[in-house]
Amino acid sequence: MRLAGAALLGLIVLAAAAAPWLAPTPPNQRFPDLLYAPPTRVCVGDAPGVHVHPLRIASRLERRFEEDRSTHIPLRWFSGGVLVSTDPGSGAPLLLLGADAFGRDRFSRLLHGSRATLALGLLATVVATIVGALIGGIAGYAGGWLDALLSRVSEFVVVLPAIYVTLALRAMMPLVLPASTTFLLLLAIFALLGWPMVARGVRAIVLVEREREYAVAARAAGANPARVLARHLLPAAGGYLGTQASLLLPAFILAESTMSYVGLGFPDTTPTWGTMLQDASNIALLGDDPWVLAPAAAIFMVVLGVNLLVQSTGRAPIQLER
Amino acid sequence: MARFLIRRLAFALVLLVCTSSAALLLTRLAPGDVTSQLGPFAPRQEIEATRARFGLDRNPIAQWGSWISRAVRLDFGDSFLYNRPVGPIVVRAAGNTALLAISALVVATVLGIGLGTFTGSRGTGWLTTLVRGASVMVISIPPLVMSLVLVFIAARTRWLPTGGMLSAGAVDASWTASAADVAWHLVLPTLALALPIAAAFERLQSQSMAEAVRQPFVLAAIARGAAPRVLVWRHAWRVSIRPICGVYGLVIGSLLSGSFIVEFVTAWPGIGRLMYEALRARDIYLVSACAAAGAGFLALGTLLGDVMLAVADPRVREGLES
Amino acid sequence: MNRSAPRATGILVTLAVLAVVVMVMRGRPSPDSATTRTATAPRHGGQLVASARGVPRSFNRLVASDQPSDMFSMLTQGSLVRVNRATFELEPWLAEKWESSPDGLTHTLHLRPGVTWSDGTPLTSADVLFTLEAMYDPAVQSVIASSVMPGGKPIQAAAPDASTVVLTYAAPHGSGISLLDMFPILPKHKLEGALRSGTFSQVWNTSTEPADIVGTGPFVLREFKPGERLVFDRNPRYWRTSPDGGRLPYLDRLVLQFIPEQNAELLALQAGTIDLTQSELRPDDYVPVRRAEEEGKLTLIEGGVSPDADALWFCMKPEAKKGDRRLAFVLKREFRQALSHAVDREEFARTVFLGEAVPVWGPITPGNRLWFSPNVPRYPHDPARARELLRSIGLEDRNGDGVVETADGVEARFTVMTQRGNSIYERGISVVREQVAGIGVALDPAPLEYPTMIERLLACNYDAVYMRPIFSHFDPANNLDFWLSSGSAHLWNMAQKTPATEWEARIDAIMREQAQTPDPERRRALFNDAQRILAEHVPVLYLAAPRLYFAHSTRTAGVVPSVMRPPILWNADSLGVASP
Repeated sequence: MRLAGAALLGLIVLAAAAAPWLAPTPPNQRFPDLLYAPPTRVCVGDAPGVHVHPLRIASRLERRFEEDRSTHIPLRWFSGGVLVSTDPGSGAPLLLLGADAFGRDRFSRLLHGSRATLALGLLATVVATIVGALIGGIAGYAGGWLDALLSRVSEFVVVLPAIYVTLALRAMMPLVLPASTTFLLLLAIFALLGWPMVARGVRAIVLVEREREYAVAARAAGANPARVLARHLLPAAGGYLGTQASLLLPAFILAESTMSYVGLGFPDTTPTWGTMLQDASNIALLGDDPWVLAPAAAIFMVVLGVNLLVQSTGRAPIQLER
Repeated sequence: MARFLIRRLAFALVLLVCTSSAALLLTRLAPGDVTSQLGPFAPRQEIEATRARFGLDRNPIAQWGSWISRAVRLDFGDSFLYNRPVGPIVVRAAGNTALLAISALVVATVLGIGLGTFTGSRGTGWLTTLVRGASVMVISIPPLVMSLVLVFIAARTRWLPTGGMLSAGAVDASWTASAADVAWHLVLPTLALALPIAAAFERLQSQSMAEAVRQPFVLAAIARGAAPRVLVWRHAWRVSIRPICGVYGLVIGSLLSGSFIVEFVTAWPGIGRLMYEALRARDIYLVSACAAAGAGFLALGTLLGDVMLAVADPRVREGLES
Repeated sequence: MNRSAPRATGILVTLAVLAVVVMVMRGRPSPDSATTRTATAPRHGGQLVASARGVPRSFNRLVASDQPSDMFSMLTQGSLVRVNRATFELEPWLAEKWESSPDGLTHTLHLRPGVTWSDGTPLTSADVLFTLEAMYDPAVQSVIASSVMPGGKPIQAAAPDASTVVLTYAAPHGSGISLLDMFPILPKHKLEGALRSGTFSQVWNTSTEPADIVGTGPFVLREFKPGERLVFDRNPRYWRTSPDGGRLPYLDRLVLQFIPEQNAELLALQAGTIDLTQSELRPDDYVPVRRAEEEGKLTLIEGGVSPDADALWFCMKPEAKKGDRRLAFVLKREFRQALSHAVDREEFARTVFLGEAVPVWGPITPGNRLWFSPNVPRYPHDPARARELLRSIGLEDRNGDGVVETADGVEARFTVMTQRGNSIYERGISVVREQVAGIGVALDPAPLEYPTMIERLLACNYDAVYMRPIFSHFDPANNLDFWLSSGSAHLWNMAQKTPATEWEARIDAIMREQAQTPDPERRRALFNDAQRILAEHVPVLYLAAPRLYFAHSTRTAGVVPSVMRPPILWNADSLGVASP
C-alpha cells in the first residue's frame, strides 16, 4: 500500500512538474465562445486519425453546444512544446475537462494549479511540522512554567481565526501583489497557524515518553536535555509527525482557497486548486457541470496518496475542521 | 488536581480576554469598517453617526479601554447587523453550534471508536479491510467537498433538507414538532462534520487497539484463561483510548468553536457562520464577542481533554501534578 | 497472506460502492410531465415562503434606509400614494384623490374613507401631520428627510378636517405628488409618546414586540427570529379588495426566510423549501432553473432590463490625486472617449451575461422606461478611432511594449478595483481589460473585499473601479446626489464644493431646473440634455445593462415582476397560492 501511495504521489508531482508540456492549452487563454463547454470528445473512425470536432454554440444562455461533424481537427503530438493538442488557429481546443465560467481550459488550469498549490502546501507543512515538533518537544520535556506558557500560546494561536490575521496584513499591503510575495506571505501564515496542532500531539507523546525507563535513566545519568530530546524522545513521535503532516497538507491546500476569498490570494493569472474550487460553491449547478469538482478530486488523490504512504507506525492524530 | 483546575480556568479567562481584545484591535486595523454596510453613497451624516455609535471615531486603544470597562459589567456592545446587544445573539448562535457539535461528537465517537475497536481487535478479514478502506477514503475527502456533495445529494433526492435549522414554513409548531424539525435538519450537517472525524477516530482507535492487544499484561490475562471478549473490553480498551483522549479535547474545542465550512455550506446558524458574517461586515463588537465565544469553547474543550487524559493515564496525572 | 491485498480489495470495493452511488444520483428517473402553465388566479388563503438577503435594521422606516427595512415597511405600512413598480404609474393609495394648484405648490389630498390601522383605530389626517412632523424633527435625524424636501425646505402640512390634508411645497418639485410614495404614514396614537419624549429614533427597533407595530399595510408582523426569519400574518383590516370582491391580501401568512448567500437561495428554491427569491437569477443559473421549469417545479419569468448598468470609472478628484501624473490625461475627455470606442459592448454582453444584456452608453438604461433617451451619443466599437483619439492627446506606444505613454514616459496603466467573489464582475473586468489592451491601455484588476472597496471609494484612494452603481430611485429629480457635482454619489468626484468643470456646472443647472419643473414634457427635454452632456464627456464608462430573470415555485400566483427592488414582494398583497 505504501508503494501505491508513493506511486500516486509521484505521478502527481511529475504531472505538476511537467505541466507546461502536458497542458494542451495555456491556462489563462479564454475562449469566449466556449463558456462552460463540456469535455471535448476524442473520436476515431469517422475520419482519418485521432481527431476532435469543433463545438459550435447552439444557445449561450442554455449552455448548449453542437458538434460540427463536417469538420474534423486532428490531434497533434509533440508540437508547440506540448504533448498533445490541437492547432491553436482551429478554434477547437482540446478541453479534456471542459471549460470554466471564463472559457478557460480546466485541465490546463488543474495542471498548472498543482504547482503553486503543491509547492505551497508541501513547504508550509514541512515548516509547520519542524517548528511544531521543536516547540512541542520542549514543552513536553521541560514541563513547569515553560510548558504552561507554550501550551497557552499554542491554544491562543489555534483559536485566533486566520482570517483576522490575513485582513490586518492585507491592509498594510499595496493593492496588487506579485505572485511571489503572495506565496511567501501565505507560507508564513500557514506555518504560523499550523504548528500548534503538531506541538500539542508531540507534547503529549513526550510527556509520556519522558517517564519511560530509558529517558529517566538518561536524565539521571546527567545527559544534555537537548540531546535526550533530539535523540530519544522526538523520534518516538516520528509516526505521529508523519501522519499529522499528512493531515496538514490538505488543510493548507483548502486554507489557500479561503485566503484568496478574503483577498490574500494569488492573482487571476496564477491558477490554484483552491481558487478553482470556489467555482463549485454554486451547488445547484453541480449536477449539470460535475467537472467543476475536478480540483476536489485532485486534492483527494494527493491526500489519499499521502495517507497510504504514511501508514501505521506510531499513533495517528486527528484531522480537525477549521 | 483542584489547583490544576483552578489554574487552567484562570488561564482560560485570560485567553478569552486576550482573544477578544486581539479581535477588536485587528478589526480596527483591517481596511474598511462597519459603515461600508451603509453602501458607497450614504449621506455623510449617517456615516458619522454610525461611526460614533461604534466607537470608531476614537483611537483603537481608547475604544478598547471603554469596551473593557463595559465588558466587566457584562455589556459587550451592540451589533450593527442585528441592531441589538451582542450578548443574546452570540449565546443563541453558540447554542446552535453546541447542538451540532455534540451530535457530531456523539456520532463520531460511537461510530469511530466502535468501528476502530472492532477492526483493531480483529486485525484481518474482509469486513475489517472494507472499514479501513472506507476510513482512508473519507479522511482524504476535504470537508468542503464532503459538505457540498452531501448538500447536493440532499437537494437532488429531497430526502433531507438542504440547509438551515428549521423548515421555512413551519410556524406555530408545537414543541415536539419543532424539536423533530430541528433533528431532521441536524442530520446533514452532523454527517458532514462527523464522518471525517469518525474515520480519523476509527484509524486512531484501530491502531492503538492493535497495540494494546499486544501488550504483555494482555498476554498475561490470556495465560490466566480470560475469555477474548473480556480481554478486549476490560483490559485492552482502557489502555487503547488514551491517545484519543489526548486529542479529544482539541476535537471538542474545535467543533465547539464552530466548524465554519460546514455551517456555511449547510446554512446552519452557528458561531462559525456568525463570525464570518460579522467579519465581512466589520461589525466590530460582534466580531470580538464571537472570538471570545470561540476561545472560550476551545479552552473548555482542551481542559476537558486534559482532564480525561489525566483520568485515563495515571502517568500523565503524576506529571501534571509535579 | 500478504496484508496489502485485502486492503486493496477493501479500497476498490469502497470505490465501486461510491461510484454506484454517484451513478444513482446522476441517473434520475425521467422528469414529471411538465404542467401546463396557465395563468391561474390566486385563491384566498395559504402561505408563501420568500427568501430575504438581509435583516431589517429597524422597523421604523424613517430612521433606516436599508433595503430590508424598506421592504418591511412596504409589507406592513402604506403611503399616501403608490408608484406602481411595474408600470411606473402613480396610483391612489391612502389618499383617494387629490387636487394640485397650477403653480405646483399646494396639493390637497383626500384620504380614503374607512381605512383603519391594524389595531382598529381609524386613519386620520392627524397621522399624516404627525408623520411629517417626526420626519423633519432634527432630534430624530431621519434618513429620508433630505430626500423629501422640495425647494430644500420641509413640506408644510395642514389638516382642515379629519380626512383632508393640504401640503404646501416650498418650491415646485419635478415628481410632484409621487414624492409622497417615499415614506409611509405612521400611527400617531402609537408613536406620539416616543416623539414627545425624544426617543423616536429608537422606537420600533427590531426588539419591539410584534403586537406594538401597527400599520395600514397588507400584513402585520407576527414573529421575528433574528438571523432566521420574519413571519407575517394577514392584516384583517387591510383596505384593499380583490377583483372578485374578497378582501386582500390573498395570503394568510408570508414567511421571509433569511438566506444571505445567493447560492444557498437558489438551492432552496430548487429544493422547494422557498417559493420566491429576492435576487434576480444570474445568467449562469439559467440552466438548472430551466430544467426545473421543464420538470414543472419552477416558473421562469423575465422582469425586463435592469435600470442599472455595469460601469467603469476613474477617480478624478484633483485634491486626492495630487502628484499623480496620469491625472493630466485621465481628465481629458478624449481619453475616456477612446476607451468607450475600444470596448465592444456586444461581445461584452455575449461573454459576461451570456447574451442577456443590452449595451448602454449612459446611466439611464432602457429598463427605466420613462426616462431613457435613445438619442444619447454612442461610441461604436472602433479601435482605430480610439487610437487616433489617444494620439491626439499625446498618448502613443513609443517604446513598443504594448502600452501607450505620454511624451515624458507616463504609462497609461491603472489598477481597477472590483468586488471579490462576484463572477459577473470578474468576468466583466477581464473582458474590458482585454479589449482596452488592444488600444494600449493597461488595466490590472484588483478584486477586493466589499468593505475594503467601499473605504477606498469614499476616500478616492483608487485608480479605477468596476461595479454596478445602483440608482435609489427611477425619477431623476430624486437622484440629485448622483447628478449634482455637490452630490454624495457623484461617482467620479464626490461632494465637490464648486463644479470642477464647466460641463458639470451645466449639468448642475439643468438638473436643478428639471427637479423644480412640474411640466413632464419640459422635464424630459431638460433631462435628455443632461444625459447627452454626460455621454459626450464620458466621466463614467457605461457598458451593458443585464436582463432580469426571476424564478418562483409553480404554486405561486399573481406574480408581477418589477425591475425595481423588491422585484416581486412590492405587490405582496396580490400574491397568492395558485388555485388547483
